[in-house]
Amino acid sequence: MHQCRRPASLLALSLLLPAVAAAQSIADLPLKENRVTVGGYGEVHYTNASGTGAPGRITVKRFVIYLANAFTDRLTLRSEVEWEDAKVEGGKAGGEISVEQLFLDYRFSDAFTLRTGLLLAPIGIVNETHEPPTFNGVDRPSFDQDVIPTTWRELGIGAAGRLPGVSGFAYRLYLLNGIRAAGFDAEQGIRGGRQEGQDASFTNPSLTGRVEYARPGLKVGAAFWYGGSADQNPAIGTGTFAAPVAMLAADARYEIGGLSLRAVVANVHIADAALINQAYGKQVGSRIAGGYIEGAYDVLHLLAPASPQYLAAFARYERYNTQAGVPAAITADPALARRITTVGLTYKPIGGIAFKADYQLRRSRAALGSVDVVSLGVGYQF
Amino acid sequence: MRLRLIRGLLLLPLLAAAPLGAQEVAPAKVARSIERIFGGHPRVDTVLAGQARVLRIHTGDAVAGFAQVRNVIGKDQPITFLVAIDSTGVLKDVDVLVYREPYGGEVAYEAWRKQFRGKGPDAPLTVGRDIRNISGATISSHAVTQGVRQALADLSAWRAQGLLR
Repeated sequence: MHQCRRPASLLALSLLLPAVAAAQSIADLPLKENRVTVGGYGEVHYTNASGTGAPGRITVKRFVIYLANAFTDRLTLRSEVEWEDAKVEGGKAGGEISVEQLFLDYRFSDAFTLRTGLLLAPIGIVNETHEPPTFNGVDRPSFDQDVIPTTWRELGIGAAGRLPGVSGFAYRLYLLNGIRAAGFDAEQGIRGGRQEGQDASFTNPSLTGRVEYARPGLKVGAAFWYGGSADQNPAIGTGTFAAPVAMLAADARYEIGGLSLRAVVANVHIADAALINQAYGKQVGSRIAGGYIEGAYDVLHLLAPASPQYLAAFARYERYNTQAGVPAAITADPALARRITTVGLTYKPIGGIAFKADYQLRRSRAALGSVDVVSLGVGYQF
Repeated sequence: MRLRLIRGLLLLPLLAAAPLGAQEVAPAKVARSIERIFGGHPRVDTVLAGQARVLRIHTGDAVAGFAQVRNVIGKDQPITFLVAIDSTGVLKDVDVLVYREPYGGEVAYEAWRKQFRGKGPDAPLTVGRDIRNISGATISSHAVTQGVRQALADLSAWRAQGLLR
Protein backbone atom coordinates (compact mmCIF):
# COMPACT_ATOMS: atom_id res chain seq x y z
CA MET A 1 0.00 0.00 0.00
CA HIS A 2 2.70 2.34 1.07
CA GLN A 3 4.83 1.44 -1.93
CA CYS A 4 1.92 2.17 -4.27
CA ARG A 5 1.43 5.62 -2.83
CA ARG A 6 4.98 6.67 -3.30
CA PRO A 7 5.04 7.29 -7.09
CA ALA A 8 1.62 8.90 -6.94
CA SER A 9 2.72 11.37 -4.31
CA LEU A 10 5.90 12.14 -6.23
CA LEU A 11 3.74 12.87 -9.25
CA ALA A 12 1.52 15.12 -7.18
CA LEU A 13 4.59 16.87 -5.88
CA SER A 14 5.86 17.57 -9.36
CA LEU A 15 2.47 19.00 -10.33
CA LEU A 16 2.43 21.10 -7.19
CA LEU A 17 5.86 22.56 -7.61
CA PRO A 18 5.39 25.07 -10.43
CA ALA A 19 2.27 26.56 -8.89
CA VAL A 20 3.86 26.77 -5.49
CA ALA A 21 6.99 28.29 -6.96
CA ALA A 22 4.95 30.92 -8.77
CA ALA A 23 3.09 31.80 -5.61
CA GLN A 24 6.27 31.78 -3.55
CA SER A 25 8.08 34.43 -5.46
CA ILE A 26 5.42 36.95 -4.53
CA ALA A 27 4.80 35.94 -0.95
CA ASP A 28 6.29 38.26 1.65
CA LEU A 29 9.56 36.46 1.33
CA PRO A 30 12.26 38.62 -0.18
CA LEU A 31 14.94 38.20 2.47
CA LYS A 32 17.81 40.55 2.01
CA GLU A 33 21.32 39.28 2.45
CA ASN A 34 23.49 40.85 5.12
CA ARG A 35 20.75 41.28 7.66
CA VAL A 36 22.43 43.07 10.55
CA THR A 37 20.69 42.90 13.88
CA VAL A 38 21.52 44.65 17.10
CA GLY A 39 20.32 43.57 20.52
CA GLY A 40 21.48 43.49 24.06
CA TYR A 41 20.80 42.87 27.68
CA GLY A 42 21.83 44.36 30.96
CA GLU A 43 21.19 44.36 34.66
CA VAL A 44 21.68 46.68 37.60
CA HIS A 45 21.97 45.06 41.03
CA TYR A 46 21.62 46.42 44.54
CA THR A 47 22.75 43.99 47.24
CA ASN A 48 22.91 44.34 50.98
CA ALA A 49 24.37 41.52 53.05
CA SER A 50 23.86 41.24 56.81
CA GLY A 51 26.64 42.07 59.23
CA THR A 52 28.87 45.08 59.78
CA GLY A 53 31.49 45.76 57.16
CA ALA A 54 29.02 44.81 54.44
CA PRO A 55 27.34 48.01 53.31
CA GLY A 56 24.80 48.03 50.50
CA ARG A 57 26.35 48.01 47.04
CA ILE A 58 24.85 48.97 43.72
CA THR A 59 26.44 48.24 40.37
CA VAL A 60 25.80 47.94 36.67
CA LYS A 61 26.38 44.22 36.93
CA ARG A 62 26.28 43.57 33.20
CA PHE A 63 25.87 45.60 30.03
CA VAL A 64 25.93 43.47 26.91
CA ILE A 65 25.73 44.39 23.25
CA TYR A 66 24.58 41.71 20.86
CA LEU A 67 25.50 42.10 17.23
CA ALA A 68 24.62 39.60 14.51
CA ASN A 69 24.87 39.47 10.76
CA ALA A 70 23.23 37.00 8.42
CA PHE A 71 25.74 36.98 5.54
CA THR A 72 23.35 34.68 3.72
CA ASP A 73 20.24 32.85 4.74
CA ARG A 74 22.41 29.99 6.01
CA LEU A 75 25.59 31.66 7.21
CA THR A 76 25.32 33.81 10.31
CA LEU A 77 27.74 35.47 12.70
CA ARG A 78 26.63 36.19 16.25
CA SER A 79 28.52 38.10 18.91
CA GLU A 80 28.13 39.46 22.41
CA VAL A 81 30.41 41.96 24.08
CA GLU A 82 30.04 42.37 27.81
CA TRP A 83 30.97 45.05 30.29
CA GLU A 84 30.88 44.03 33.92
CA ASP A 85 30.61 46.58 36.73
CA ALA A 86 30.28 49.55 34.43
CA LYS A 87 33.91 50.48 33.77
CA VAL A 88 37.44 49.27 33.45
CA GLU A 89 40.29 51.59 34.33
CA GLY A 90 43.96 50.98 33.76
CA GLY A 91 45.85 49.95 36.87
CA LYS A 92 42.69 49.60 38.97
CA ALA A 93 40.93 46.48 40.12
CA GLY A 94 37.35 45.70 39.20
CA GLY A 95 35.37 45.74 36.01
CA GLU A 96 35.79 43.56 32.99
CA ILE A 97 35.24 43.79 29.27
CA SER A 98 34.99 40.54 27.41
CA VAL A 99 33.77 38.89 24.26
CA GLU A 100 31.15 36.59 25.67
CA GLN A 101 30.17 34.84 22.44
CA LEU A 102 31.51 35.03 18.91
CA PHE A 103 30.51 32.27 16.57
CA LEU A 104 29.68 31.47 12.98
CA ASP A 105 26.82 29.15 12.12
CA TYR A 106 26.39 27.45 8.80
CA ARG A 107 22.98 25.80 8.63
CA PHE A 108 23.17 22.77 6.34
CA SER A 109 19.80 21.41 7.50
CA ASP A 110 17.55 21.31 10.52
CA ALA A 111 19.59 18.36 11.76
CA PHE A 112 23.02 19.88 11.24
CA THR A 113 24.35 23.35 11.84
CA LEU A 114 28.12 23.67 11.77
CA ARG A 115 29.21 26.06 14.52
CA THR A 116 32.63 27.50 15.21
CA GLY A 117 34.08 30.22 17.38
CA LEU A 118 33.70 31.16 21.03
CA LEU A 119 30.88 28.86 22.13
CA LEU A 120 28.79 28.51 25.28
CA ALA A 121 29.08 25.14 27.01
CA PRO A 122 25.57 23.65 26.65
CA ILE A 123 25.38 22.66 30.32
CA GLY A 124 22.53 23.41 32.72
CA ILE A 125 19.96 26.12 32.03
CA VAL A 126 21.56 29.49 32.77
CA ASN A 127 24.82 29.09 30.86
CA GLU A 128 23.11 29.25 27.46
CA THR A 129 20.03 31.24 28.46
CA HIS A 130 21.28 33.96 30.78
CA GLU A 131 19.41 37.12 29.84
CA PRO A 132 18.05 38.68 33.06
CA PRO A 133 14.31 38.34 32.24
CA THR A 134 14.77 34.58 31.74
CA PHE A 135 15.63 33.70 35.35
CA ASN A 136 14.26 34.51 38.78
CA GLY A 137 16.34 36.24 41.41
CA VAL A 138 18.49 39.34 41.05
CA ASP A 139 21.66 37.33 40.62
CA ARG A 140 22.04 34.01 38.86
CA PRO A 141 21.88 30.98 41.14
CA SER A 142 25.13 30.56 43.10
CA PHE A 143 25.21 26.99 41.78
CA ASP A 144 25.58 28.53 38.33
CA GLN A 145 28.68 30.28 39.61
CA ASP A 146 30.47 27.69 41.72
CA VAL A 147 29.52 24.37 40.10
CA ILE A 148 28.58 25.25 36.50
CA PRO A 149 30.86 28.24 35.99
CA THR A 150 28.60 30.54 33.98
CA THR A 151 29.07 32.21 31.62
CA TRP A 152 31.24 29.31 30.49
CA ARG A 153 32.52 29.79 26.95
CA GLU A 154 35.54 28.37 25.15
CA LEU A 155 36.88 28.24 21.60
CA GLY A 156 36.22 25.41 19.21
CA ILE A 157 33.99 23.80 16.65
CA GLY A 158 30.90 21.64 16.72
CA ALA A 159 27.47 20.75 15.53
CA ALA A 160 23.92 21.49 16.62
CA GLY A 161 20.47 20.59 15.38
CA ARG A 162 17.41 18.47 15.84
CA LEU A 163 17.81 14.72 16.01
CA PRO A 164 16.34 13.50 12.73
CA GLY A 165 13.53 10.99 12.84
CA VAL A 166 12.47 11.61 16.45
CA SER A 167 10.40 14.73 16.95
CA GLY A 168 11.19 16.61 20.13
CA PHE A 169 14.91 15.92 20.46
CA ALA A 170 17.78 18.33 19.84
CA TYR A 171 21.53 18.06 20.37
CA ARG A 172 24.74 20.06 20.53
CA LEU A 173 28.22 18.58 20.38
CA TYR A 174 31.38 20.70 20.54
CA LEU A 175 35.13 20.18 20.56
CA LEU A 176 36.58 23.00 22.65
CA ASN A 177 39.86 23.97 24.26
CA GLY A 178 40.40 22.44 27.68
CA ILE A 179 40.34 24.22 30.99
CA ARG A 180 43.46 24.74 33.13
CA ALA A 181 43.92 23.05 36.49
CA ALA A 182 46.19 25.90 37.57
CA GLY A 183 43.06 28.02 38.10
CA PHE A 184 41.02 25.52 40.14
CA ASP A 185 40.33 26.19 43.80
CA ALA A 186 38.34 24.89 46.73
CA GLU A 187 35.59 27.54 46.81
CA GLN A 188 34.66 27.75 43.14
CA GLY A 189 35.91 24.44 41.79
CA ILE A 190 36.82 24.64 38.12
CA ARG A 191 35.65 28.25 37.63
CA GLY A 192 39.13 29.78 37.61
CA GLY A 193 40.26 27.23 35.04
CA ARG A 194 38.17 28.65 32.22
CA GLN A 195 40.11 30.24 29.41
CA GLU A 196 37.22 32.25 27.90
CA GLY A 197 38.79 32.72 24.51
CA GLN A 198 41.84 34.66 25.70
CA ASP A 199 44.96 33.28 24.05
CA ALA A 200 43.74 29.85 25.11
CA SER A 201 45.94 26.80 25.38
CA PHE A 202 44.75 23.95 23.22
CA THR A 203 47.10 21.46 24.85
CA ASN A 204 44.17 19.53 26.23
CA PRO A 205 40.98 19.49 24.19
CA SER A 206 37.54 19.00 25.69
CA LEU A 207 34.35 17.48 24.41
CA THR A 208 31.02 18.82 25.57
CA GLY A 209 27.52 18.08 24.46
CA ARG A 210 23.87 18.03 25.25
CA VAL A 211 20.73 16.15 24.30
CA GLU A 212 17.39 17.66 25.15
CA TYR A 213 13.77 16.77 24.77
CA ALA A 214 11.00 19.35 24.56
CA ARG A 215 7.25 19.44 24.25
CA PRO A 216 4.76 22.17 25.18
CA GLY A 217 5.46 23.18 28.76
CA LEU A 218 8.39 20.80 29.23
CA LYS A 219 12.09 20.69 28.51
CA VAL A 220 14.57 18.21 29.92
CA GLY A 221 18.24 18.01 29.06
CA ALA A 222 21.33 15.97 29.81
CA ALA A 223 24.82 17.33 29.25
CA PHE A 224 28.44 16.40 29.72
CA TRP A 225 31.93 17.87 29.66
CA TYR A 226 35.06 15.78 29.36
CA GLY A 227 38.49 17.23 28.89
CA GLY A 228 42.05 17.37 30.12
CA SER A 229 43.30 20.19 32.34
CA ALA A 230 47.05 19.53 32.80
CA ASP A 231 48.08 22.21 30.32
CA GLN A 232 51.69 21.15 29.82
CA ASN A 233 52.41 20.60 33.49
CA PRO A 234 53.92 17.10 33.52
CA ALA A 235 53.66 17.05 37.33
CA ILE A 236 49.91 16.48 36.99
CA GLY A 237 49.96 14.37 33.87
CA THR A 238 50.77 14.07 30.20
CA GLY A 239 48.64 13.09 27.26
CA THR A 240 45.57 14.45 25.53
CA PHE A 241 43.18 14.06 28.43
CA ALA A 242 45.68 14.46 31.26
CA ALA A 243 44.10 15.46 34.59
CA PRO A 244 40.61 14.92 33.21
CA VAL A 245 37.62 16.91 34.34
CA ALA A 246 34.39 14.96 33.84
CA MET A 247 31.08 16.67 34.36
CA LEU A 248 27.60 15.23 34.03
CA ALA A 249 24.55 17.43 34.41
CA ALA A 250 20.81 17.23 33.97
CA ASP A 251 18.16 19.92 33.91
CA ALA A 252 14.40 20.21 33.65
CA ARG A 253 11.91 23.03 33.13
CA TYR A 254 8.18 22.62 33.41
CA GLU A 255 5.42 25.20 33.03
CA ILE A 256 1.73 24.68 33.61
CA GLY A 257 -0.79 27.46 34.08
CA GLY A 258 0.90 30.11 36.18
CA LEU A 259 3.37 27.66 37.69
CA SER A 260 6.96 27.19 36.51
CA LEU A 261 9.40 24.73 37.96
CA ARG A 262 13.06 24.20 37.18
CA ALA A 263 15.76 21.95 38.53
CA VAL A 264 19.42 21.36 37.72
CA VAL A 265 21.90 18.84 39.07
CA ALA A 266 25.56 18.37 38.25
CA ASN A 267 28.45 16.20 39.27
CA VAL A 268 32.07 17.06 38.51
CA HIS A 269 34.81 14.49 38.94
CA ILE A 270 38.44 15.59 39.11
CA ALA A 271 40.36 12.34 39.27
CA ASP A 272 43.78 13.90 39.78
CA ALA A 273 42.79 16.44 42.43
CA ALA A 274 45.60 15.24 44.70
CA LEU A 275 48.25 15.98 42.07
CA ILE A 276 46.65 19.32 41.22
CA ASN A 277 46.66 20.35 44.88
CA GLN A 278 50.27 19.28 45.23
CA ALA A 279 51.34 21.23 42.15
CA TYR A 280 49.48 24.46 42.90
CA GLY A 281 49.08 24.43 46.70
CA LYS A 282 45.28 24.29 46.56
CA GLN A 283 42.51 22.35 48.25
CA VAL A 284 40.54 21.37 45.16
CA GLY A 285 37.86 18.74 45.75
CA SER A 286 37.99 15.50 43.81
CA ARG A 287 34.23 15.70 43.43
CA ILE A 288 32.00 18.76 43.12
CA ALA A 289 28.29 18.08 43.24
CA GLY A 290 24.89 19.54 43.90
CA GLY A 291 21.90 21.20 42.37
CA TYR A 292 18.89 23.38 42.89
CA ILE A 293 15.15 23.33 42.56
CA GLU A 294 12.98 26.36 42.01
CA GLY A 295 9.28 27.03 41.82
CA ALA A 296 7.57 30.23 40.72
CA TYR A 297 3.94 31.18 40.48
CA ASP A 298 2.64 34.01 38.31
CA VAL A 299 -0.13 35.50 40.43
CA LEU A 300 -1.43 37.54 37.49
CA HIS A 301 -2.25 34.29 35.74
CA LEU A 302 -4.86 33.83 38.46
CA LEU A 303 -5.87 37.43 39.17
CA ALA A 304 -5.77 38.96 35.69
CA PRO A 305 -5.59 36.17 33.12
CA ALA A 306 -5.94 38.54 30.19
CA SER A 307 -2.96 40.62 31.29
CA PRO A 308 0.29 40.28 29.33
CA GLN A 309 2.18 41.29 32.48
CA TYR A 310 3.90 38.84 34.79
CA LEU A 311 4.27 38.97 38.55
CA ALA A 312 5.72 35.86 40.09
CA ALA A 313 6.67 34.86 43.59
CA PHE A 314 9.45 32.32 43.61
CA ALA A 315 11.48 30.17 45.96
CA ARG A 316 14.71 28.38 45.20
CA TYR A 317 16.76 25.95 47.23
CA GLU A 318 20.37 25.30 46.29
CA ARG A 319 22.50 22.62 47.86
CA TYR A 320 26.00 21.97 46.62
CA ASN A 321 29.47 21.22 47.79
CA THR A 322 32.69 22.08 45.96
CA GLN A 323 34.41 19.50 48.17
CA ALA A 324 31.83 16.73 47.98
CA GLY A 325 34.83 14.47 47.70
CA VAL A 326 38.42 15.31 48.65
CA PRO A 327 41.73 13.57 48.06
CA ALA A 328 43.20 11.72 51.06
CA ALA A 329 45.66 14.48 51.89
CA ILE A 330 43.09 17.17 52.77
CA THR A 331 40.11 17.53 55.08
CA ALA A 332 36.86 18.78 53.62
CA ASP A 333 35.86 22.27 54.75
CA PRO A 334 32.23 22.14 55.96
CA ALA A 335 31.79 25.81 54.96
CA LEU A 336 31.93 24.69 51.33
CA ALA A 337 28.85 22.46 51.74
CA ARG A 338 26.44 25.26 50.89
CA ARG A 339 22.68 25.49 51.39
CA ILE A 340 21.15 28.61 49.94
CA THR A 341 17.49 29.51 50.14
CA THR A 342 16.17 32.38 48.04
CA VAL A 343 12.66 33.79 47.99
CA GLY A 344 11.56 36.78 45.97
CA LEU A 345 9.46 38.45 43.34
CA THR A 346 9.88 38.96 39.61
CA TYR A 347 7.74 41.57 37.87
CA LYS A 348 7.74 41.82 34.09
CA PRO A 349 5.57 44.64 32.70
CA ILE A 350 6.52 43.26 29.28
CA GLY A 351 8.56 40.21 28.37
CA GLY A 352 11.82 42.09 27.87
CA ILE A 353 12.05 43.88 31.22
CA ALA A 354 12.22 42.39 34.71
CA PHE A 355 12.17 44.10 38.09
CA LYS A 356 13.38 41.77 40.80
CA ALA A 357 13.60 41.63 44.57
CA ASP A 358 14.79 38.76 46.69
CA TYR A 359 15.92 37.66 50.11
CA GLN A 360 18.64 35.07 50.38
CA LEU A 361 19.70 32.96 53.34
CA ARG A 362 23.17 31.55 52.81
CA ARG A 363 24.14 28.73 55.12
CA SER A 364 26.63 25.88 55.13
CA ARG A 365 27.30 22.69 56.97
CA ALA A 366 29.76 24.59 59.20
CA ALA A 367 28.24 25.70 62.50
CA LEU A 368 29.21 29.30 61.84
CA GLY A 369 25.77 30.86 61.51
CA SER A 370 24.49 32.30 58.29
CA VAL A 371 24.53 35.33 56.07
CA ASP A 372 21.40 36.88 54.70
CA VAL A 373 21.33 39.10 51.66
CA VAL A 374 18.65 41.43 50.37
CA SER A 375 18.85 42.26 46.67
CA LEU A 376 16.99 44.49 44.26
CA GLY A 377 17.55 44.56 40.55
CA VAL A 378 16.32 45.50 37.14
CA GLY A 379 17.23 43.76 33.91
CA TYR A 380 16.28 43.94 30.26
CA GLN A 381 16.82 42.24 26.95
CA PHE A 382 15.92 43.16 23.40
CA MET B 1 44.82 36.40 16.35
CA ARG B 2 41.61 34.95 17.73
CA LEU B 3 39.74 35.93 14.60
CA ARG B 4 42.37 34.34 12.43
CA LEU B 5 42.00 31.08 14.34
CA ILE B 6 38.24 31.17 13.96
CA ARG B 7 38.49 31.88 10.26
CA GLY B 8 40.97 29.10 9.82
CA LEU B 9 38.68 26.66 11.56
CA LEU B 10 35.73 27.82 9.54
CA LEU B 11 37.02 27.96 6.02
CA LEU B 12 37.97 24.34 5.58
CA PRO B 13 34.51 22.79 5.84
CA LEU B 14 32.66 25.73 4.35
CA LEU B 15 34.69 26.01 1.17
CA ALA B 16 33.33 22.65 0.15
CA ALA B 17 29.74 23.52 1.01
CA ALA B 18 26.80 24.01 -1.30
CA PRO B 19 25.85 27.47 -2.61
CA LEU B 20 26.06 29.91 0.25
CA GLY B 21 23.53 32.35 -1.07
CA ALA B 22 20.39 30.21 -1.16
CA GLN B 23 17.68 32.47 0.14
CA GLU B 24 14.07 31.55 -0.14
CA VAL B 25 12.09 28.54 0.91
CA ALA B 26 12.48 25.70 -1.51
CA PRO B 27 9.15 25.30 -3.35
CA ALA B 28 9.48 21.55 -2.81
CA LYS B 29 9.37 22.16 0.93
CA VAL B 30 6.13 24.14 0.59
CA ALA B 31 4.68 21.48 -1.68
CA ARG B 32 5.56 18.72 0.78
CA SER B 33 3.98 20.69 3.59
CA ILE B 34 0.74 21.17 1.64
CA GLU B 35 0.68 17.53 0.71
CA ARG B 36 1.21 16.51 4.31
CA ILE B 37 -1.51 18.81 5.58
CA PHE B 38 -4.19 18.15 2.95
CA GLY B 39 -3.35 14.57 2.02
CA GLY B 40 -4.47 12.90 -1.17
CA HIS B 41 -3.27 14.50 -4.39
CA PRO B 42 -3.64 18.22 -3.88
CA ARG B 43 -3.56 20.68 -6.76
CA VAL B 44 -2.50 24.23 -6.06
CA ASP B 45 -3.21 27.51 -7.75
CA THR B 46 -3.14 31.03 -6.46
CA VAL B 47 -5.83 33.60 -5.79
CA LEU B 48 -5.36 37.30 -5.19
CA ALA B 49 -6.65 38.91 -2.02
CA GLY B 50 -5.84 42.54 -2.59
CA GLN B 51 -2.03 42.63 -2.77
CA ALA B 52 -1.61 39.24 -1.18
CA ARG B 53 -1.28 35.93 -2.97
CA VAL B 54 -2.93 33.00 -1.31
CA LEU B 55 -2.39 29.37 -2.25
CA ARG B 56 -5.67 27.62 -3.05
CA ILE B 57 -5.65 23.88 -2.58
CA HIS B 58 -7.98 21.51 -4.43
CA THR B 59 -8.35 17.84 -3.68
CA GLY B 60 -10.47 16.14 -6.33
CA ASP B 61 -12.92 18.71 -7.67
CA ALA B 62 -13.47 20.58 -4.45
CA VAL B 63 -11.56 23.42 -2.81
CA ALA B 64 -10.00 21.85 0.25
CA GLY B 65 -8.59 25.04 1.72
CA PHE B 66 -6.12 27.88 1.50
CA ALA B 67 -2.58 28.44 2.69
CA GLN B 68 -0.06 31.23 3.01
CA VAL B 69 3.68 31.32 3.63
CA ARG B 70 4.84 34.13 5.86
CA ASN B 71 7.80 35.33 7.86
CA VAL B 72 7.85 36.55 11.41
CA ILE B 73 10.93 37.81 13.22
CA GLY B 74 12.06 35.65 16.14
CA LYS B 75 14.94 36.95 18.26
CA ASP B 76 16.60 38.45 15.23
CA GLN B 77 16.02 36.21 12.21
CA PRO B 78 12.88 35.57 10.17
CA ILE B 79 11.00 32.37 10.91
CA THR B 80 9.29 31.15 7.73
CA PHE B 81 6.02 29.37 8.40
CA LEU B 82 2.98 28.14 6.53
CA VAL B 83 -0.59 28.49 7.77
CA ALA B 84 -3.36 26.40 6.20
CA ILE B 85 -7.10 26.71 6.68
CA ASP B 86 -9.80 24.38 5.43
CA SER B 87 -12.68 25.48 3.21
CA THR B 88 -14.74 26.49 6.26
CA GLY B 89 -12.05 28.79 7.58
CA VAL B 90 -10.86 26.59 10.44
CA LEU B 91 -7.10 26.40 10.92
CA LYS B 92 -5.95 23.08 9.56
CA ASP B 93 -2.27 23.13 10.47
CA VAL B 94 0.87 25.20 10.81
CA ASP B 95 4.30 24.24 9.50
CA VAL B 96 7.62 25.86 10.35
CA LEU B 97 9.43 25.76 7.00
CA VAL B 98 12.71 27.49 7.83
CA TYR B 99 14.08 28.18 11.29
CA ARG B 100 17.30 30.15 11.33
CA GLU B 101 18.30 30.86 14.94
CA PRO B 102 20.50 28.85 17.30
CA TYR B 103 17.91 28.52 20.07
CA GLY B 104 14.14 28.15 19.95
CA GLY B 105 13.75 25.72 17.05
CA GLU B 106 11.38 23.67 19.22
CA VAL B 107 8.48 25.58 17.63
CA ALA B 108 8.91 23.26 14.64
CA TYR B 109 8.04 20.19 16.73
CA GLU B 110 4.69 18.65 15.91
CA ALA B 111 3.77 18.47 19.60
CA TRP B 112 3.88 22.26 19.73
CA ARG B 113 2.41 23.04 16.29
CA LYS B 114 -0.57 20.78 16.73
CA GLN B 115 -1.94 23.14 19.39
CA PHE B 116 -3.10 25.35 16.51
CA ARG B 117 -5.18 22.71 14.75
CA GLY B 118 -8.91 23.34 14.75
CA LYS B 119 -8.62 26.95 15.91
CA GLY B 120 -11.25 29.32 14.53
CA PRO B 121 -10.96 33.04 13.90
CA ASP B 122 -12.28 33.76 17.40
CA ALA B 123 -9.58 31.82 19.26
CA PRO B 124 -7.32 34.04 21.38
CA LEU B 125 -4.14 32.39 19.99
CA THR B 126 -2.07 33.72 22.84
CA VAL B 127 0.87 32.06 24.58
CA GLY B 128 -0.11 31.34 28.18
CA ARG B 129 -3.81 31.13 27.33
CA ASP B 130 -4.69 28.65 24.59
CA ILE B 131 -1.11 28.01 23.41
CA ARG B 132 1.51 26.59 25.74
CA ASN B 133 5.02 27.94 25.76
CA ILE B 134 8.12 25.83 25.27
CA SER B 135 10.79 26.61 27.86
CA GLY B 136 13.88 28.02 26.23
CA ALA B 137 11.89 28.90 23.10
CA THR B 138 9.79 31.67 24.61
CA ILE B 139 10.60 34.36 22.05
CA SER B 140 9.96 32.01 19.12
CA SER B 141 6.76 30.65 20.70
CA HIS B 142 5.39 34.18 21.02
CA ALA B 143 6.57 35.21 17.56
CA VAL B 144 5.08 32.23 15.70
CA THR B 145 1.84 32.41 17.69
CA GLN B 146 1.48 36.09 16.87
CA GLY B 147 2.30 35.40 13.21
CA VAL B 148 -0.29 32.63 13.01
CA ARG B 149 -2.89 34.83 14.72
CA GLN B 150 -2.30 37.56 12.13
CA ALA B 151 -2.38 35.12 9.21
CA LEU B 152 -5.60 33.53 10.44
CA ALA B 153 -7.18 36.95 10.94
CA ASP B 154 -6.22 38.01 7.39
CA LEU B 155 -7.39 34.76 5.80
CA SER B 156 -10.68 35.00 7.72
CA ALA B 157 -11.21 38.60 6.65
CA TRP B 158 -10.52 37.74 3.00
CA ARG B 159 -12.95 34.83 3.24
CA ALA B 160 -15.61 37.12 4.69
CA GLN B 161 -15.04 39.54 1.79
CA GLY B 162 -15.58 36.70 -0.66
CA LEU B 163 -12.02 36.91 -1.96
CA LEU B 164 -11.17 33.29 -1.15
CA ARG B 165 -13.45 30.88 -2.97
